[in-house]
Amino acid sequence: MILTVARKEFREIIRDGRIKWSALILAVMLVAALATAGQRFADISAERASAQEVVNMQFAAQGDKNPHAAAHYGLYAFKPVTPLSFFDTGVGSYTGVSIWLEAHNQNDAEGEPARDATAIARFGELTAAFTLQMLLPLLVILLAFPSFAGEREAGTLRQVLSMQVAPVQLLFGKALGAAAALSVFIGPILFLGLIGLVFAPGGLGYLGHGVVLVAVYIVYALIFLFLTLAVSANVKSAQAALVVMVGFWAVSSFVLPRAASDVSRLLYPTPSAVSFQANIDEAMQSGLDGVSPDTIVQQRQKQTLALYNAETVEELPINFQGMIFDLQEKLGNEVFDKFYGDLYAIFDQQTGLHQAFSIGSPRMATQLASMELSGTSLNQHLAFTSQAESYRRDLIEGMNRDITFNSEAGQADYRADSALWASIEPFEYQPASLGALLARLGPSFMVMFLWLALSIVAGVLAVRKVKVTLG
Amino acid sequence: MKGFRSVFVQEWVILKHNSTWWAILGLLLVLTVLAALNGSARTNQMAEMGGGLNQSELQTQMALQSAVARWEADPEGDPPSVASPGALGLSVLSHYTVLPPTPLAALSIGQTDVQPTYYKVTAHPALSFLNEAEIQNPLNVLAGSFDVAFVIVFLLPIFIVALTFDLMSKEKERGVLGLVLAHGVSKTAFIIAKGAARALLIFTLLLLVGLAAVVLTEPDLSSAAMWMRFGLWFLIVSLYAFFWFALALFVNSLNKPSVTNGVILANLWLVFVVVIPALVNVAATTLYPAPSRVELTTEMREATEVADQESAESREAFFFDHPEMVGGDANADQFFLQVLATDSAVERAIEPLMEEFDAQAQLRQDVVDLLQYVSPAIMAQNALNAVSGTGTERFTDFVDQVLAFHENWRGFFTSRIVKGSRMSAAEFDEIPSYAHQAMATRTILRSTLSPAAGLAIFVLILGIWSARRYARYPAV
Repeated sequence: MILTVARKEFREIIRDGRIKWSALILAVMLVAALATAGQRFADISAERASAQEVVNMQFAAQGDKNPHAAAHYGLYAFKPVTPLSFFDTGVGSYTGVSIWLEAHNQNDAEGEPARDATAIARFGELTAAFTLQMLLPLLVILLAFPSFAGEREAGTLRQVLSMQVAPVQLLFGKALGAAAALSVFIGPILFLGLIGLVFAPGGLGYLGHGVVLVAVYIVYALIFLFLTLAVSANVKSAQAALVVMVGFWAVSSFVLPRAASDVSRLLYPTPSAVSFQANIDEAMQSGLDGVSPDTIVQQRQKQTLALYNAETVEELPINFQGMIFDLQEKLGNEVFDKFYGDLYAIFDQQTGLHQAFSIGSPRMATQLASMELSGTSLNQHLAFTSQAESYRRDLIEGMNRDITFNSEAGQADYRADSALWASIEPFEYQPASLGALLARLGPSFMVMFLWLALSIVAGVLAVRKVKVTLG
Repeated sequence: MKGFRSVFVQEWVILKHNSTWWAILGLLLVLTVLAALNGSARTNQMAEMGGGLNQSELQTQMALQSAVARWEADPEGDPPSVASPGALGLSVLSHYTVLPPTPLAALSIGQTDVQPTYYKVTAHPALSFLNEAEIQNPLNVLAGSFDVAFVIVFLLPIFIVALTFDLMSKEKERGVLGLVLAHGVSKTAFIIAKGAARALLIFTLLLLVGLAAVVLTEPDLSSAAMWMRFGLWFLIVSLYAFFWFALALFVNSLNKPSVTNGVILANLWLVFVVVIPALVNVAATTLYPAPSRVELTTEMREATEVADQESAESREAFFFDHPEMVGGDANADQFFLQVLATDSAVERAIEPLMEEFDAQAQLRQDVVDLLQYVSPAIMAQNALNAVSGTGTERFTDFVDQVLAFHENWRGFFTSRIVKGSRMSAAEFDEIPSYAHQAMATRTILRSTLSPAAGLAIFVLILGIWSARRYARYPAV
């Protein structure tokens, strides 16, 4: 029976053509977005990879130098992109793409693409994720809003229900028919997208991510489908069903994300860049716990001299300058860990607020999941910066160790050669595994499945009521 | 126009007793007030921070000045190291250039969250401070802000569509239209009276909403500049509302069922507010992509390395940015000359790339400026940003002013470094200070009135087209 209903619904939707235009818009945008995504991935991944290579080569070929000079010269870490980075650009336009790794400083990622964008980019970037998040629900609503309400107006609902069709069968039959109509329009495009992913360089490793992404968007569409059917069964006219669902869609997709961002700013304000830097400078000068770095250096000198039974640093078997550099570096790192730790804790609270708001918005839950799976979430940007930072610390430590053990006190003209530069392993970002991402996505998945369960239950309750009022 | 008055009055009475209408209008009012308060919280916070930025800089400057003055009064031993223009300009002093908010800034956040509203200018190349960014959670920037411009551009059309999508179709479906015409009321009078009653209500509300927002957010209600901006704001908002109104009237003239009208208008909203802006953005960035920031990074590095190698010997004598470690016999002046040489070598090397950045950005902006006329939503957003002083044009102008100031600031120190002269206490008073020049009224008018004209043309075309269709509109 479900199949009969589904077949009738499917045929009617295709014949009716009420979603012709929105389906066409969605299809065109999706194809355009996926094609540009492929192109952008090819361009930008090549660009970043070659830049990383150039920077590594520059470092290796810097000639004979004092290791501290090399530490000042430093290296750059470029954020790599994956084939999915352009399916959903996530926060990618608003985060930097490269970090300068140098002595003494933890630098921020720089070169946010948004700085080069015009104001119009704020309407939203054309990506497949944006298209699906924004247009798919509207398409589903237009597809399903007259399902019950329209038949009620036409008087056919009473007839159908009198033919011993269980209301629940009717609901699932209509859902199936609408879903089938939907997959005719979008299924092939998403399938081609997955094929494209497989053939993109390195894409095979992201096939699992891609499949989960498709599943996420299917659930997203189903949420709106059952919600629309529930509303359609509940209200008197098709017109009312349309108004209610478009209103819900607009508020949950457009208003709530912005509200979340402003409320999170109000509740958990981030420091200004100026005061953030001033605090770091202050802590660098006078120490985190009130003991200034200069005092600590002096103490260390005393201890070291005592340890080696020496009167002056010149008598030490090592270059004490290297130890000073190292000690200063470690003290600095503690300061960075404290202040960046505090900042990221605020970011976490803000992100948590977005998650809380997503309870009211299927779109927000879907977006959070989509960014995470595409590798463009805030989390993964911070993972990149933290890996780059620990690479920097190892690099600088290596340079300082070389000064300590291979040069003498006061030997400012000490030179290390290419052997030292070559001993540095190139930076390579290790992305989180799919399993780790899925574990992190627990809350978003929970919200999505709650919405799905809720909308199905609402649909079932609504169609049951239809029978009661008629009986 | 026979019957205009009676239909108008009748419509007014109906609307007065329609609770859905009042609910929708109330919601619009509440959302706008919330958005205005939110915007003013952001603007006040920024203004407060911007105001305090140069305080510690000026304090440092004054402390150094008095140190030099003390030595001048009693010149014993070497002059203090801060009398060296190199130490001052290249390591100690900096100056914040701040973009002050304009009146009505609270109504549109615009580009404020992606473009810096202040720069820390030093005597080093501009690129060293142009790339600095304010700390923000990128997730928040991605979501955008809930400001009044958002309520107007995104939500107002939905409200208007919800109130007007069945303007004529409903009368027809209920058989009212035929009845009214049978009573001798002219069709034109009927349509205009119905439309005018709603339009009057919506515009009264928009005016109230706008005034409420201004009263809540503006510190100075007697400022003529503010009221001029408010006049422009209301003009744009009215034209944008008129556009959606005219669009709904037009869709009604297609003589379709109310439900179909709703579907068509929902699709049109999507096309104008979501689809076209996304496509215009793709067009602009594909036609004139920004040069690669990654390439800029590697080029700059290459240039720095070459310049450093050229001056390797002298640089090494200063132990790489640690002249204090070399001891007293290093010639600090020589060091700063070297820094200047490296700075200018790097600047020369990346200049072509920077020019390409600027040229491409200009071309991209030109494309967007031209293509904005395709979508009333883009025109409205651009114009609302311009009215609030948060549009691209003002940020570009700010960067230009900052760069000019940077030249001035740098020139002050470099000329003295090159001459090898010391700073006297009196010369401290001559250190440049940034004063932001407000944009000419003409520019503001241009960047708001041209989108406004575009909106007016849309309204006009839709109006004429609808009028012609309604002439043939069947009564039953």
